[in-house]
Amino acid sequence: MTKEPESIPGGAVRAAPPALPRAQPSAPPPRRSPGRRLFALRGDIPTWLHVVLGLACIALIFLAWFLATVGEPEFRMVSPTVLPSPAETFSSFQELWFDRALTRNLIVTLRRVVLGFALACAVGIPLGILSGCFALAQGLLFPLTIFGRNIPLAALIPLTFTAFGIGEWQKVMFIFIACVMFIVSDTATAIRDVDQRYVDTAWTLGAKRRQIITKVLVPLAMPAVFNSLRLLFGLAFGYIMLAELVKLGGEVGGLGDIIRQSQRRGYIEHIWLVLLIIPFIALAIDRTLKAIQKSLFPYQYGGHGLLHRALRVVGHAWEDLKGVFFSREVATTQAGPGEEDA
Amino acid sequence: MSDPVPQDAVPQDDGPQDAVPQDAVLQDALPQDVGVGTVLDHVREPEEIPSAGIVSFRNVRKTYNVGEANAFTAIDEVNFVVEDIEGKGEFVSILGPSGCGKSTVLRLIAGLEPQHPPTVGEVRVMGRTVERPGADRGMVFQDYTSFDHRTVLDNVAFGLECRGVPREEREESARHWIGRVGLSVENDQLKYPHELSGGMRQRVAIARTLILRPRIILMDEPFGALDPTTRLNMQDLLVDLWREVEATVFFVTHSIGEAVYLGDRVYLMSNSPGTILEELEVEPPNRPALEMQREVPFQETVFYIRDKIATLEEER
Ligand SMILES: Nc1ncnc2c1ncn2[C@@H]1O[C@H](COP(=O)(O)OP(=O)(O)O)[C@@H](O)[C@H]1O
Ligand SMILES: [Mg+2]
Repeated sequence: MTKEPESIPGGAVRAAPPALPRAQPSAPPPRRSPGRRLFALRGDIPTWLHVVLGLACIALIFLAWFLATVGEPEFRMVSPTVLPSPAETFSSFQELWFDRALTRNLIVTLRRVVLGFALACAVGIPLGILSGCFALAQGLLFPLTIFGRNIPLAALIPLTFTAFGIGEWQKVMFIFIACVMFIVSDTATAIRDVDQRYVDTAWTLGAKRRQIITKVLVPLAMPAVFNSLRLLFGLAFGYIMLAELVKLGGEVGGLGDIIRQSQRRGYIEHIWLVLLIIPFIALAIDRTLKAIQKSLFPYQYGGHGLLHRALRVVGHAWEDLKGVFFSREVATTQAGPGEEDA
Repeated sequence: MSDPVPQDAVPQDDGPQDAVPQDAVLQDALPQDVGVGTVLDHVREPEEIPSAGIVSFRNVRKTYNVGEANAFTAIDEVNFVVEDIEGKGEFVSILGPSGCGKSTVLRLIAGLEPQHPPTVGEVRVMGRTVERPGADRGMVFQDYTSFDHRTVLDNVAFGLECRGVPREEREESARHWIGRVGLSVENDQLKYPHELSGGMRQRVAIARTLILRPRIILMDEPFGALDPTTRLNMQDLLVDLWREVEATVFFVTHSIGEAVYLGDRVYLMSNSPGTILEELEVEPPNRPALEMQREVPFQETVFYIRDKIATLEEER
């Protein structure tokens, strides 16, 4: 099967190779026509082209936005009460930033998500580990997981007001409820997915049941756990908007509250601005979490793994400290094949 | 009970002695000398030796998924005994067609589920029925089982860490073993498994097992995934280390040459449900792998076993 030498439009004509072309170590790879290269199935395009295409998309959207909102308010294609013009929108940024206290509200929102999510992790990860390790725990938690994962969360908001009042606590607990069962079941799955051969190896190296959990199953499941936590955090960020859009008296604050108030007072351009800003914040959070993830699990994602190595040092220091304060008994004899282990 | 015929030194110069044709070998009364090995007239059973033996199987059967539609008997009527040779230990190779239950036998000795416990019969180690896995029976698997999140050093020290040995002490010991298996302490100790080649990972696995000084080492095709050159190097390494650790080794492999080279004793298993078909005593590996495996008597033993296994695989 020989290939026809391809002509390159506008390029130099290469000499036809003799009979069977032999791969030359230094020869450049055979070039394909640009069309085929750009439309290669699941192929790559150059980075610059990637950027240009993205910018083109943004430009098109702005153009459409501009055309839809050009002219005097009465004669526009889209009413300014729905979509203000780009100029109107961006000129209101200063007002949003200073008068509406964008940063402070952003921090309020983030604090709620982080608190609720941390609480969900603190409860969900240990429960997930238990339920991954022991079928008994999994059986016990099964109904809760089914409910937690399938309940329409928006419908829970009224109840959270009844249960947790109208303050911060209600929003934090809403995030907690939204996430905790997902964390439990994802952690359990990650533990179950650790290959049995690692457990078998640990047994033959004399590990006890507790050591297999703490030294094998949990650490080997962590990359998968962290990855699902990162995705869930994105979800939680979405849920907090929902919680903030509902107000039952008192101070609410947060990005969702800015949107709600803007709608009531007719600052439509602020709604659009917040909607534009949120994805950037979500992206920044996700990128940060990804960087942490990479640093924590170099054996999964490559790189130097600074955080991982730091944790290793801390672990060693902790162990050495414990050794100073508690003299531990070292098992010198091995448990035989029929002996009880401790 | 007949004593196993003592191995006589095989002349190295002039090919197969007595020029016994293959089919004659099969028909002749056993025990029979074949190249560097001797086929025993029967597989020795636990009753035949005075001591309890280091490992013995008595009428062992393993049926997977008992009572279910997909119940499957992997091994049946497995009887054998390996003597406890003080201060030395034997190297036992296990050969057989694929799926005949070699891994099942090894994991029964290790006490690992779901192979453990046997459906019928008794597996004894050092005179006691196996009840659970333990560090006295180390195991090296074919799949890479280094803990991904641990450095080479922490991987090798794992067993000692579980035993509660203080850090300084266990790391010093781990460094010793990293060096003994031919890795560089300086360059490799802080590497992670994903930075190592297959051969290096198996060296870590071997070091991690040997550091615990097990009486029994179980190896399930440990070099199965390695390229031929690495494999020969690993064979030489194993011979070297084994002399030092004085353990009884059970070694499962698909390579007949590897089994005959490394083994003092070779068990040949039948098709499933597997049972031990033949027991051979072979010359211990006293020369480098490449050298010994080229010699004619060695090849004769290999061909003898290869024909047996080929017949078994045809019969399936
Ligand atoms: N956990 C298991 N459940 C059911 N069948 C199994 C299991 N493990 C092994 N087997 C079956 O038992 C037979 C022997 O398996 P194994 O001991 O792994 O063979 P070998 O190591 O000789 O290739 C095979 O046919 C295999 O399919
Ligand atoms: Mg196997």
